[in-house]
Amino acid sequence: MKDNFNIVGKRVVRSDSLDKVTGAARYTADIKLPNILVGKVLRSPYPHARIVSIDLKRALKVPGVKAAISGFDAYGIKWGVFRYTQDHAMLPTDKVRYIGEDVAAVAAVDEETALEALSYIKVDYEPLPAVFDPIESMKEGAPQIHAEHKNNINIHIHIDVGEVDKAMGKAFLVREDTFKAAGEAYAMMEPYAVVASYANGYLDLWMPNAGPHVRAKALSNLLKLPLNKVRIRHINSGGAFGGRSEVAPGDLVASLLSIKAGRPVKLVLSREENATSSRQVHDIMATIKTGMKKDGTIVAKDYRVIYNGGAYSSTGPIATSIPFYVYEECYRFPNVRYNGYRVFTNKGIRGMYGCHGRAFLAGNEAQMDLMAKELGIDPVDIRLKNGLKPGEVTATKSKITSCGLKDTIKAASERTNFKKRWARKSGLKGIGMGCIAIMCGFPMGFRSGSSCYVKINDDGQATLVTGLVDNGQGNESMVIQVASEVLGIPMKDINLVCADTEVTNLDPGAYSQAAAFVGANAVRVACENARKKIVSIAAQKLRVKAADIGLKDGLAYSMKEPDKKMPISWVVREAFFRGEPVAATGSYFPNIDFEREWVSRPWGQMAGTFSFGTSIAEVSIDPETGKIAMPRFTTAHDCGRAINPMAVEGQMDGSVQQAGVAAITEGNLWDKGHLLNPDLLEYKVPLACDMPDIDTIIISSLDPEGPFGAKEGGLTVRMNAYSAVACAVTNATGELFEELPLTPDKVLTMLERKKGVKG
Amino acid sequence: MKTIRVNIQVNNEKNVLQVRPYETLLETLRERLNLTGAKEACSMGACGACTVVVNGIPVRSCIVLTAEVDGAVITTVEGLKENGELHPLQEAFMEKGAVQCGFCTSGMIMTAKALLDRKKRPTKKEIVKTISSNICRCTGYKKIVEAVEEAGKKMA
Amino acid sequence: MILPKFEYKKAKSVAEAVAFYHDHKGRARYLAGGTDLIPLIKLRLSTPTAVIDLKDIEELKAVSRNNGGWLTVGANVTLFNLKNDPVVREYFPALYESLDATSCETLQMRGTIGGNILQDTHCLLYNKSLEWRTARGFCYKMGGAACNVVPNAKACFSNYCSDNAPSLITLSAQVKLVGPRGERTVELEKIFSGDGRSPFLVEPGEILTEILIPLKKTQGAYEKLRVRDSMDYPLAGVAVSVKGAAARACVGGIGLAPRLYDLKNINEITIKEASDRIYADAKPVSNTVLSAIYRKRMAGALLKKAIRRVLQEGWK
Ligand SMILES: Cc1cc2nc3c(=O)[nH]c(=O)nc-3n(C[C@H](O)[C@H](O)[C@H](O)COP(=O)(O)OP(=O)(O)OC[C@H]3O[C@@H](n4cnc5c(N)ncnc54)[C@H](O)[C@@H]3O)c2cc1C
Ligand code: SF4
Repeated sequence: MKDNFNIVGKRVVRSDSLDKVTGAARYTADIKLPNILVGKVLRSPYPHARIVSIDLKRALKVPGVKAAISGFDAYGIKWGVFRYTQDHAMLPTDKVRYIGEDVAAVAAVDEETALEALSYIKVDYEPLPAVFDPIESMKEGAPQIHAEHKNNINIHIHIDVGEVDKAMGKAFLVREDTFKAAGEAYAMMEPYAVVASYANGYLDLWMPNAGPHVRAKALSNLLKLPLNKVRIRHINSGGAFGGRSEVAPGDLVASLLSIKAGRPVKLVLSREENATSSRQVHDIMATIKTGMKKDGTIVAKDYRVIYNGGAYSSTGPIATSIPFYVYEECYRFPNVRYNGYRVFTNKGIRGMYGCHGRAFLAGNEAQMDLMAKELGIDPVDIRLKNGLKPGEVTATKSKITSCGLKDTIKAASERTNFKKRWARKSGLKGIGMGCIAIMCGFPMGFRSGSSCYVKINDDGQATLVTGLVDNGQGNESMVIQVASEVLGIPMKDINLVCADTEVTNLDPGAYSQAAAFVGANAVRVACENARKKIVSIAAQKLRVKAADIGLKDGLAYSMKEPDKKMPISWVVREAFFRGEPVAATGSYFPNIDFEREWVSRPWGQMAGTFSFGTSIAEVSIDPETGKIAMPRFTTAHDCGRAINPMAVEGQMDGSVQQAGVAAITEGNLWDKGHLLNPDLLEYKVPLACDMPDIDTIIISSLDPEGPFGAKEGGLTVRMNAYSAVACAVTNATGELFEELPLTPDKVLTMLERKKGVKG
Repeated sequence: MKTIRVNIQVNNEKNVLQVRPYETLLETLRERLNLTGAKEACSMGACGACTVVVNGIPVRSCIVLTAEVDGAVITTVEGLKENGELHPLQEAFMEKGAVQCGFCTSGMIMTAKALLDRKKRPTKKEIVKTISSNICRCTGYKKIVEAVEEAGKKMA
Repeated sequence: MILPKFEYKKAKSVAEAVAFYHDHKGRARYLAGGTDLIPLIKLRLSTPTAVIDLKDIEELKAVSRNNGGWLTVGANVTLFNLKNDPVVREYFPALYESLDATSCETLQMRGTIGGNILQDTHCLLYNKSLEWRTARGFCYKMGGAACNVVPNAKACFSNYCSDNAPSLITLSAQVKLVGPRGERTVELEKIFSGDGRSPFLVEPGEILTEILIPLKKTQGAYEKLRVRDSMDYPLAGVAVSVKGAAARACVGGIGLAPRLYDLKNINEITIKEASDRIYADAKPVSNTVLSAIYRKRMAGALLKKAIRRVLQEGWK
């Protein structure tokens, strides 16, 4: 693959950063529209209760109130990502299933009035017994949360490859452990907000979202509006991390209020509501049984994983599967059985997370280290031995193409002198390693692909139109950079229209790590098509061969005789004269097996390609308090080509915080159905002073399919950083963790268990 | 309820406003003065996204009443440019890649500005301590620290 | 989140503030930096008819050495300014460290020492919105019948989380209170009521005007248990100040009031004894992010850590 690029691979300043450092960047809560109203939601105080009646009359009489709604004003339609998961009305009429569930709402001229009106809404409930623990929830006689799901089992993923029991029987070493992890909060800095404006039969919406097209589709279903009448508009997003992939109850609430009032409505959740009533992350319990040969080869894996799914399905089957897949995409499992259960409870709604599955992944990695140690093998060699190589096929039949797993293991372990330090650890210091692979995109039906339209304007500037969306990771800048490379037009002269369902085409969204591999690929193809047109005219005008034309800095020039050149704007004008303006489309559809289905057919090609990564954490534990200090964190990520290395590093740094340091600080705390830390004080997002020195290593296993060889920009770190920390603690203590986060109280218990002191 | 008259100078402009006694400075900035750079992220003083500089000191505008700052000189992120030129912090945040989703950025920059105004070339340790007043969910802080260091050098 | 309605009064003198308080028939609250009070009002945990701003009262802003061997600190002095006062660093290292460990730098620049001492107590089930608390049911501290953490208890087990009161107590600090019924000076450790519904023995309308610290050099340290190294309130905090061979230790962050321990002679045995007593006296409940038993154990452990640090740094 070509290697000398004008701008791809350079540390460029992100296109969106000027607006963000000057305060000009607009987010949903910043939007002001004429006649806009303030929306407020009345929420369920019960974890489980039948709704007997909802009376809005008195609320409507409050002066300044322009609309009041409940589920009885909706259409009785339930949302679900899959046909078999349609169970979420967003505004229930039968019963409430978690504390904080949206029950009714008002729109008023100001917030004070709206709050006053809420206090006049009368809801009669008939409380029902509730259940919060998935194990309890699965038992006979537990309160039934959805009539159609017996034992509250929402999803059961069953994968069975090879002959697990037989292989386990023959294995030299077998070990079984159970690991737990508290669910995390996405804790994106921007609390959920939405503006809905209904006029002339069209509903315009702004909200932070990870996929405008999926959002519009869901809302058109819920509101019984034709899809073209629901328009999700572009707006900056203050972080998502997986928490903004699906339609949110507030989307429906604001839409209904705006339709009723005939005026725009803005609904901004408080930080607490954002935690109790927008999505959170699953808490997980994973039982992992592993069989190894004497030489450390993994011969069998047997899994039973229970996900606390909260009250509704959400992305249920996907959430129940992903931790398994990212692991099987990394290691060779000749025999493997996975039983994943997503169980309904009366807790808030849950979604996918950038760091999804930490109990499972960290558990696997830490257990592997302990088993390997017993066999006299160190963490590096056990991973190199069992790690997948290019050309191999995973247990569920995904072919691995480009694969830098080995390189990430080698680079990270050499940088840290891992082997020596792991073997000769001193006191309560430890070093640990975690590996993972990530699918870049996964089956999302016809929404798996992306397309782009590009036009070159008469001033030589370009406009891109794409459905791609940016949640802060830098996707917008990335596609501008890609277009700039192909078209030879400076980034500042490229305008982007994106994530607006009225004008942009389908795109998977900032979901499933598809933005670079799929979204940017479509942009690349469109721009290459436009480039051909530019080159052909320029070649004629400059009287050179098309193959000799280069495009750079807004100029078309002869590569052999650089004096022969002309501005691209002249080329474009010539094209207008010829009645063939320079405009092109391009699309990219990944090579995925679309027969694949999460529950009914869990095999076949999962994604067009996979990224790989290795993280190494260094810890030292205070023997008196159990507090973990983490002086250094090293992480190597195979992202294919880094389109903007600075942006990739930023993703990696952020992942060390959100997964690595979070492994010792973050977790939701509950008192039955009440979330005890729905704020930014008691939910412990790590601060600057809590961060280790971070060393990032980018490995480029150029992908033959990715745009300029790119795959995805840093998610592996999000999925292996906690493993590195858990393994480092195992190295320091000789013990396996039982539960994440590894707060000092838990670590102290581990230390004492080791000493034989009763905890 | 009676409103209160306050004089505040915001980004070099004088304002005479009638505010509600229970109005926060953040509400005044965002709603009356259309300065939406400061963000409401936690509303409880626990994250720093709403930080603006009042008489040289960084304050969390979500837990300060506008009535309290009568007579003050206030700078928000919108007022950092001088003669159309970006502030060194703004430049450094861009060049070092310290901006991701951007929601914490203005609060982060204003916290750092107050530091650089009171201390020439702060050490890395001092910078880390100062910005440990603010939460960022995206960056892991590394590039933010680098950006403040860089701006400190430029300003020294 | 918007604030509920209240009036705002800026007082120019202590007398004026007390008069405003009187006008509002006891339903007003004093406001200093507001970093404790404003969040409480936002959560509707306090619903005053007026807030009386003390920040413009000049007499509350000074730090001075006077009165024959006292350091007088005005209640309005910010934590940051106090921390950077050379006297504090030189004479009162425990206080210096606790100030430095309080919240974060930005909040230290706004929060005052008076407000820090008189901050409300904390509980994971208390510092929540009205909606959250309504769903959970009002507890004893909110005027309900029983505690939500300790079932059936007609008492409150919330935690007093000032980082600086414990160190001030080890320094034998006194506070001056001025109110409708005159003025009084009391030892700081005497202002705690032990009742979660109103944790201070401060008369309605009384203003804390100054903190008086005996101006004698001490050695000292402050050890704070928290999850993050900034922003977080103490889950337990132990201050130690040493003069000669004697030490005073004070434990905060667990329960409604700081607890003081005198060590007449510092040696292995007295340290162990104090640490055991601290462990026995600490009665945390499950209302913070770390477990109660762990916090109980840490209270004793932090004492040892703090004293060890003081001994290592040496004292005259
Ligand atoms: C995110 C966050 C983290 C925090 N972390 C910590 C921490 O780690 N440690 C810690 O100790 N504190 C912490 N705090 C609490 C607070 O910031 C400090 O305690 C601060 O010093 C309070 O001072 P203030 O001037 O802002 O008080 P205010 O909020 O103004 O007042 C607090 C209380 O004291 C009363 N009051 C104030 N001054 C007087 C006076 N002169 N006379 C009579 N009554 C008075 C008020 O009526 C009010 O009831 C934190 C706060 C936040 C928001
Ligand atoms: S300890 Fe009990 S009474 Fe006190 S605030 Fe917490 S729940 Fe309420």
